[in-house]
Amino acid sequence: MKHDNIERNVGILIILTMLAISAGGLVEIVPLFFIKETVEKVEGVHPYSPLEIRGRDIYIREGCYLCHSQMIRPFRDEALRYGHYSLAAESKYDHPFQWGSKRTGPDLARVGGKYSNDWHTQHLTAPRSLVPQSVMPNYPWLVKTDLDYSDIQGRMKALRATGVPYSISQAEFDKNVKEFGADVAKNLHIPDAEKNLLAQAQAGNYDTNPDKLTETDALVAYLQLLGTMVDFKKYDDDYFGKFR
Amino acid sequence: MEWLMWFTKFENTKPVSLVIFFGLFCGVLVYLYGSKQRGQQLESFKNIPLQDDDI
Amino acid sequence: MTTASIKNTEQYNYDVIRKFAIMTLVWGVVGMLAGVYIASELAFPVLNFDNPYITFGRLRPVHTGTVIFGFGGSALFATSYYIVQRTCQARLFSNGLASFTFWGWQAIIVLAALGNVMGYSQGREYAEMEWPIDLLIEVVWIAYLVLFVATLMKRKQPHIYVANWFYLAFILATALLHTFNNLAVPVSLFSMKSYSLFSGAQDAMTQWWYGHNAVGFFLTAAFLGMMYYFVPKQAGRPIYSYRLSVLHFWALVFLYMWAGAHHLHWTAIPDWTSTLAATFSIMLLLPSWGGMVNGILTLSGAWDKMRTDPIIRFLIVSLSFYGMSTFEGPIMSLKDVNALSHYTDWTIGHVHSGALGWVAMVTFGSFYHMVPKLWNTQMYSNRLINIHFWLATIGILLYITAMWISGIMAGLMWRAFDDFGNLQYAFIEAVAAAHNLYVMRAVGGLFFLSGIVLMSYNMYKTIKSGTTEQA
Repeated sequence: MKHDNIERNVGILIILTMLAISAGGLVEIVPLFFIKETVEKVEGVHPYSPLEIRGRDIYIREGCYLCHSQMIRPFRDEALRYGHYSLAAESKYDHPFQWGSKRTGPDLARVGGKYSNDWHTQHLTAPRSLVPQSVMPNYPWLVKTDLDYSDIQGRMKALRATGVPYSISQAEFDKNVKEFGADVAKNLHIPDAEKNLLAQAQAGNYDTNPDKLTETDALVAYLQLLGTMVDFKKYDDDYFGKFR
Repeated sequence: MEWLMWFTKFENTKPVSLVIFFGLFCGVLVYLYGSKQRGQQLESFKNIPLQDDDI
Repeated sequence: MTTASIKNTEQYNYDVIRKFAIMTLVWGVVGMLAGVYIASELAFPVLNFDNPYITFGRLRPVHTGTVIFGFGGSALFATSYYIVQRTCQARLFSNGLASFTFWGWQAIIVLAALGNVMGYSQGREYAEMEWPIDLLIEVVWIAYLVLFVATLMKRKQPHIYVANWFYLAFILATALLHTFNNLAVPVSLFSMKSYSLFSGAQDAMTQWWYGHNAVGFFLTAAFLGMMYYFVPKQAGRPIYSYRLSVLHFWALVFLYMWAGAHHLHWTAIPDWTSTLAATFSIMLLLPSWGGMVNGILTLSGAWDKMRTDPIIRFLIVSLSFYGMSTFEGPIMSLKDVNALSHYTDWTIGHVHSGALGWVAMVTFGSFYHMVPKLWNTQMYSNRLINIHFWLATIGILLYITAMWISGIMAGLMWRAFDDFGNLQYAFIEAVAAAHNLYVMRAVGGLFFLSGIVLMSYNMYKTIKSGTTEQA
């Protein structure tokens, strides 16, 4: 009898502990998956193109998020320095999110379009040649390494499995045309991934060397897109407040 | 899963968490300090680490 | 086979504890060396040497991984096996499972570090390990849970001592956090790359629910379990109040899980989550200080031990740092303070006053008590323990002072306006202003590192003089 009782005690301890530690997570996180207001209704946000996916992968590989945030807070100084505060909608296709937690370097949420491709290529290779006091490492291998895009379709299919609307069938493609417009939808079509990736790199010439497709091409393509998808001129200042 | 929406309103979650937390807290307090005999028994467990050399 | 059968007749399985204890020191030295190196890279970027494998971005997960999971994790395995056996008067349930957790865990630390250096990363802080390693962690962790619970169930002592409650909560919570934060879709069965199942704001909430509670349960609850055994043991007096320990256990495990969203103040998550998290963060101060008070007052009436016993000094100073950082934490979770402190070095300083001051110091104290007992001997040198104490304390003070100053300075510079309403400083001016403080931080880290190197030497000499035969 006594032994039964003791065994039950371990069980009770486990159950009570599980209840205590589950409550907080359930109440705080679970609702976020069900309320629509969490993500603002806004036009222009679309999934990444094949080249931008590879650029983002490299951003994660090199651990850029450890020194650069991608989340502008609603303060006057940040508005002046970085631009409009970040919306949840702007990272809704980000698997994983890259908001970051530390600004050893500046925020990158709206770095897209602020500097030329030339500048980025030079800055990635040798940051101190442009910003003498910078503490960023040099990344000279990015411009020397050919971009590996052999499994780009696999990567898009994995992202598709998480819910990003990359298309395989004609019906899905048509749906994307309706939602994102023909130009964007073209880049979301998995069977044409390699073709689209090469075309974007060729047209963008991100690493300023048209003969070579390097990791810099992909990374700069990604950086140049950051924060440019939403046209804030279309919305008045109070519009986003009601989602917070 | 619609019922979960109820929890997303701060005016709902605040009193609920307060009631749950405070109720449990009082329960634990009463359990620990309510009875002198149980209190003595509980305090006797603090010698467990000091007894383990004898065995 | 004869040695194995002799070992099985021993009352306790000390073999696995000895192995974990040695690896704790190895990973401590490796992880802190990585820490000093990346701190130096921030002060002198030339140290990146244009080499992809040692750039800051790839070495930082090596530092956090080996220190948290290698050093901290091995220390927790070692002490939990020591405490659960001795307070239950029962041998570990299974030698095989114990061995499996040891080799499995060491493989995880090595694979994670190699993976980080090679650029395999999930891009989630403190959970950078890619999916195959995550699966291995899951398996080893379940083995740990089974072994721990099965040992509790065969105990001879009717009551489960409170230290084991903290360890149990730590094992359960870590299983829960690890599972949900690492849900991801691999690119293929043979690819190291995966994409997280969640995205954007939901992903951020999941990650910081994990990140905050990794601190709460891995680096706090479990080390409180360590404290609840080794402080009374070393002081030779029972814990101040057993009822207080029960009370603050339940308050701590309940409150911690609510507070994660304070890492996301002013970001694109709904305001209510942020406010709720701040509220619970403030409440968290009470159980945290309950634990600290309980530990420190254990010494009441024997305060002279602070002067005479360097091990007690480690333990009590660790509790003081615990009290300080659990006071600083709620302050930083206030939204107005957070507006200044977030994204700055203040956060880094806060983490290290907890990680160095509390986690590492309580581990050092406990190990100086436990290791001689594992090898049936005495510590080789008390004087070296004393020197270690001062190296560690000076190191921490240099570190957190540098980070406080550079953090608050950066926060103030970023938000400074000139008379015309323009930003007063360019971002790079704040970076340049931090240079001397980054040097100071690296020096502080070096002090702390030399402390643990000294400890390892002391332990090596101790172990050499000891024996694993039972007295």
